Amino acid sequence: MNVAASASASMSAAIHAEHLRKVYSHAPPGVAALDDLTLDVPTGRIYGLIGRNGAGKTTFVRIAATQLTKTSGVIEVLGHDVDQEPRVVRTQVACVPQESRPLYFLNVDEVVYLYLKLRGADSPDARRRTKDVLAELDLTEYAHQSVMRLSGGLRRRTLCAMVLASDAEVLFLDEPTTGLDPLARRGVWEAIRRTSRERRTLLLTTHYLDEAEALSARLALVEEGRLLLEGTPQDLRARVRYPYRVTVQTPFPREELEPYGRVTNIEGGYLVFAREDDAREVARRALDRGARLSMGPVSLEDIFLDVVGRSIQDDALPSDAEEGVFERA
Amino acid sequence: MSARNRLRSLFTLVLLNGIIPIRTQPLYLASILASPLSFLFFIYIVSAGRLLLYGVLGGMVLTMLSVGTSLQSDLTHYRHDLKFQDVVVASPVEAPTYVAGMALSELVYSIPALAVFVALFVYEGWATPFTVAVVTGVLLLVWGFASAFAFTLTTYFQDVRETFLFSPIISLVLTVLPPVYYPISALPKWAQFVARFSPTTYAAGLVQGAVGLAPLSLSSGIVDWSVLGAFTAALFLIAAFKARWRDP
Repeated sequence: MNVAASASASMSAAIHAEHLRKVYSHAPPGVAALDDLTLDVPTGRIYGLIGRNGAGKTTFVRIAATQLTKTSGVIEVLGHDVDQEPRVVRTQVACVPQESRPLYFLNVDEVVYLYLKLRGADSPDARRRTKDVLAELDLTEYAHQSVMRLSGGLRRRTLCAMVLASDAEVLFLDEPTTGLDPLARRGVWEAIRRTSRERRTLLLTTHYLDEAEALSARLALVEEGRLLLEGTPQDLRARVRYPYRVTVQTPFPREELEPYGRVTNIEGGYLVFAREDDAREVARRALDRGARLSMGPVSLEDIFLDVVGRSIQDDALPSDAEEGVFERA
Repeated sequence: MSARNRLRSLFTLVLLNGIIPIRTQPLYLASILASPLSFLFFIYIVSAGRLLLYGVLGGMVLTMLSVGTSLQSDLTHYRHDLKFQDVVVASPVEAPTYVAGMALSELVYSIPALAVFVALFVYEGWATPFTVAVVTGVLLLVWGFASAFAFTLTTYFQDVRETFLFSPIISLVLTVLPPVYYPISALPKWAQFVARFSPTTYAAGLVQGAVGLAPLSLSSGIVDWSVLGAFTAALFLIAAFKARWRDP
């Protein structure tokens, strides 16, 4: 990237990282938490950072949120260098750190209200914002309950409410819905979407690929500190060689499926990645044999599995990951 | 951040870490009272009442030092267990405001203990403009260096359990060995020499001297104030340059 292009990208990006590198002092020699990471998070959008545990997502968030120093490279938030102008950056960001918990002696209302006061909001404004965000996240009924007595999911939702209620331009949510039940997750999703409609930038890290896909305008896939893939969910799908997935329950001979695409063993049957016509044909054959089946476009999980070579949930190598569904550059 | 917003943040921290927890669990106050009053009781019994007055002054100093000990635990707990410090770092609140607010909030817990000692101080007839000024000045400096030291230390801790390791050592160095609860003359010569390395020796010398429990000349007063002031300034400078607000 030339200097002019870099400057232009930086101007329009809420977060601009270039050749970012982080090596922790306690890390084994040669192991970098972030390695030559270059990416731009566009202003006013939700940006999903996905990757396995230890991929470097939290390290990136902590550097951008001024909580952690980088080893080398450039990182700017809203055009301000995080190292040179941390005070300016801090007035424009808010963060829910991974594994954070609210102060246990406060009630839900106080967690949000006092956080806003801490940031300098006056009382009427803090009161109004607190009331609005608690309603938005279905927390009003818990407003005067001590967080000590709440479930882990409600505590997490309270923390999300806290930063979503702030006036920060750039919000960092590091694994915001971990531990939430599906209904609560959707409540947080809706609040996140509303924040995005306010033209604020939201950097979301998550293990939940459905969440990343449902919320993010763009996604970055990070593995071992490196950026493997970046783009809109549509961009990622457009690069898939086999855009459809068909699951077929046995009894069904595997040899019959192999000409149609890539076949993977799954519990109780097969997963076939195929082009649209071939997927339809596999589905027709399965129906003829009376096998149970499901068919649809490939998921982000499929794409992740293919690019990284293992599932986002575990460290085990999948049995049939040798052949990719991706057109590699 | 404007001065007005800084003040707002400061008082929010006092509310958040001082007033609300006490409202939720008033036993905190009894817990903070326990340590200095135990010392006072112990000294009263052992000295048959002769050193009770030293105990009153020592109790005041110990109460301010305990702000540092409590601050150490709270800051470490908030940083590592709750990630609250990370939430604050990624906000307009600056490190000095955070530490000052947290240190002030710890002072709220000390109010009952201080009230008991101030009542005894007044009861003894010690309260004159001069003694009140000296004692207030000394207690503020002790509160300042204890808070600055606690903040610096906690930014190097990796776990809250490390505070349990350091607190008794700090307590030994700052309150047991130095003549906070007794006259320095009660110590053997070698111990008097060692005690001179502790800032609380100078704090105790000033408050004991102000009320007439120990000799205090103009020159020794100047030395005591200078050492205590320099020590506090040094710990503030160390906190400003060596404490880790952003992780390395």
